[in-house]
Amino acid sequence: MAAVMVLALAGALSFGVNHKLAVRTGVAATPEVSAAAKALPASVPSTIDLASESSTSAAEVEAVRDPAQVSGVPEIDPHRAFGSKSAPIAMEVFSDFQCPACKQLYKTTNQQLLDNYVNTNKVYLVHRDFPLPMHAHSRVAARYVRAAAQLGKGEQAEQALFQNQEKWEQSGDIDGTLAAVLPATDMTKIRAQAKGTALDAGIDKDVALGKTYNVNQTPTTIIHFKGQTYPVVGIVSYDVLHQFLDQLLSQR
Amino acid sequence: MMQSSPLNFRRAVIWLGRIVLAGIFIYAGYAKLTMGMHPRPPIGVALSFFAMQVDSYRILPVWGVTFVANTLPFVEIGLGLLLLIGWKLRVWATLITLIMLGFFIAVVRSYAMGLQINCGCFANPEPLTIRTVLRDGALVALAALMTIFAFQEARKPHPWTASQNS
Repeated sequence: MAAVMVLALAGALSFGVNHKLAVRTGVAATPEVSAAAKALPASVPSTIDLASESSTSAAEVEAVRDPAQVSGVPEIDPHRAFGSKSAPIAMEVFSDFQCPACKQLYKTTNQQLLDNYVNTNKVYLVHRDFPLPMHAHSRVAARYVRAAAQLGKGEQAEQALFQNQEKWEQSGDIDGTLAAVLPATDMTKIRAQAKGTALDAGIDKDVALGKTYNVNQTPTTIIHFKGQTYPVVGIVSYDVLHQFLDQLLSQR
Repeated sequence: MMQSSPLNFRRAVIWLGRIVLAGIFIYAGYAKLTMGMHPRPPIGVALSFFAMQVDSYRILPVWGVTFVANTLPFVEIGLGLLLLIGWKLRVWATLITLIMLGFFIAVVRSYAMGLQINCGCFANPEPLTIRTVLRDGALVALAALMTIFAFQEARKPHPWTASQNS
């Protein structure tokens, strides 16, 4: 009985420590990150504690924040963004091509989102690469899709990789997967770009930006509206997301 | 401690449970409605944002997600206040224990399945980890003890009104 009481008390005390923002737990903010977090613009999420991200240096935070941003979203690669820049809502999707949940989100939610919100200029959708270290081929996949995006074939490449994820994640044959859907002339250019590391800078920028939002898993969607930021972790059904987006749009 | 003393181990647990669980329930409901934002977002925005967190558990259909998201924050605040007041204590303590058990099952299931989601417990970006599981387990234990002891204590006359000859 006494043991149960101790456990209960420990739980209550633990709650006292982490109930306000659990992302603060166990991580001491470095002075430079705290200073950078204070210096960030008003669009920085109030629901995220930036100071808790000890692995992100102040320089990294500053590097990815650009005051000339669209709908509160910094550093947008136009090849990886969909919809109108003047849309009232902006959504950044941090994704990993080898992550099964990202595939599910892409197939079940993002397709409908594109049809009903992005193509109707209500949402500006930005794809962010967040290759997780546990996935052997996801960085290479991100390079291929970035290279394809520069030729205007990003959507096709993304679709092919997600739809055939089970096949290429075993073999690592990303090239073959894309070659099956893209013209040979495009593939030659894509291959040349993807083989090098020139595209890594863009991927690393996305990862650094994700860290300022405390992204540590995929998929994570950051929704921006009127200077507020709403982080959504994991898969969310289209029907539930659409209720939230409609609520935001009704506040215009 | 004398048997007729107003404070014994059971009553101490009941008081601790009432204060801790009421505080948590009231704060959890309030946090879901305000999202920790200043100024507070419109209620519809807060509730539909919470719905996305409920949905990420992949347990309920869309109508269930909507129902839970639209009612749970108010239920939490109401039950927390009732627990604090102490009126019909056994009823509300039982309800809170059942709700806590439901939360605990959902958290354990998601953790066991390896779902990388936010807990959603206080409408903030708190990742669901083993710490969340242990915390919820401890709170379920506290709620269950509080409820059992409340029923046991109700069978006995209150020490302040009991006959001194007994």
